[in-house]
Amino acid sequence: MNMWLGFWLGIFGLAVGVAIGLNVPVILPQAYAKYLSVAALAALDSVLGGIRAAMEDHFDNTIFISGFFSNALLAAGLAFIGERLGIDLYLAAVVAFGVRLFQNLAILRRHLLKK
Amino acid sequence: MIMPKPPVRGEQSLKKSVYLSVVTVSLVFGLLIAFQFRTSSSISGGVPVDRFQELTIEKKQVELDNAHLEQEATDLAAKIDEARKGRSQASDVLGSELSKIRMYAGLTQLTGPGVEVIMENPPEKDGSPSFYSIRDEDILKVINDLRGAGAEAMSINGQRILSTSEIRLAGNHINVNLVRLSAPYRILAIGKPGTLKSSLEIKGGLVEYLSANGITVAVQEWEKINIPAYDGSLRFDYAKPVQRG
Repeated sequence: MNMWLGFWLGIFGLAVGVAIGLNVPVILPQAYAKYLSVAALAALDSVLGGIRAAMEDHFDNTIFISGFFSNALLAAGLAFIGERLGIDLYLAAVVAFGVRLFQNLAILRRHLLKK
Repeated sequence: MIMPKPPVRGEQSLKKSVYLSVVTVSLVFGLLIAFQFRTSSSISGGVPVDRFQELTIEKKQVELDNAHLEQEATDLAAKIDEARKGRSQASDVLGSELSKIRMYAGLTQLTGPGVEVIMENPPEKDGSPSFYSIRDEDILKVINDLRGAGAEAMSINGQRILSTSEIRLAGNHINVNLVRLSAPYRILAIGKPGTLKSSLEIKGGLVEYLSANGITVAVQEWEKINIPAYDGSLRFDYAKPVQRG
C-alpha cells in the first residue's frame, strides 16, 4: 500500500502542479527561463534521488525535502551568478545534475531488475 | 515490490509527512515543468533564449544609436539653419558689395552735390565760324582738374565718364563713349562743390585760360545734380582677371 500510495500521490501532485502551471495566467519573463530550466533539472534529480533512497530503504523525509529545494535554488542561483559574471555557470549545474540523474536512474534500474 | 522501511516510532505521523512531502515535491516539480514548458513555447517559433537575449541587447544598442543619431540630426538641422542664416547674410554682403562696385564702375545713376560746367564755343562773328573752337584737350583738362579736385562721378552731355571712356576729337564733334557730342558741352561732376569750382576758377587756372581763347565757361554749384548711368555695353575681349592663390 505504501509504495503505491506514494507513487500515485506523486503522480497526482504532478498532475495538479502541471494543471495549475498551465492555467495560471502569469507567464514568467523570458529572462527567468534559464533559471527555471536548471531548477527543474535539479528538482528532477532530487526526485530520482528520493526514489532511489526509497528503494535502498534509507529514505529520509527531511533530507529529501531540503535536498529538493536547496538543489533547485542552488542551480538557479548558479545560473544567475553565471549570468552576472558572463560565464555559463548553469552548464555546471546541468552537467552535475545530469550525471547524477543518470547515476540515480542506473541504480534505480538495478534495484528494480535485481528484485 | 520494494517498500520504504517501516519507521520504528511515530510510524503513522511520519508516513503522513512523507506522503505530504511527496505530494509537495511533485506539485512543485509539476509547476516548474509547466512553467518552463509555457515560457519555452511562448517564445515565438521556439526561438532560443540566447538568441532572444542577443536580440534584446542588440535592440537596446540600436535604440541607443537611434537616440544618438536623433540628437545628431537635430544638431545638424541647427547647423543647417545657421548656415542658411549665414548664407543670407553673405548674400546681403555680396549684394551691397555688388552695388558698390556697380557704383564705382558707373553703372548706376548717382545723385549728390556738385558743379555744372557749361562750355560754349566763341560766338560766330560775321556769320563765319570762329577761329578757335573747343577741342578734346580742353575738355580733358577740365575733366582732369575736376578729378584732381575730388570729383566722384562725371558726365558730359549725358555721357557718363568711365575709366574706359575716350574723349577725342572727330571732325567738328567730340566723341565720348563712341557717342558724338557737339557744343555746348555740359559737364556734370559730383563732389564738394566749392572745391570743384575753385579748382577751375583758380587764378591762372583753366577758366582763365579758356576764356582767354574766347570760350565761354560757366561754372555753377548745385546742391543736387543727377548723373546718369552708363548705358552702353562693357566689353572685355582681351583682359582676363588674374587667378590668385
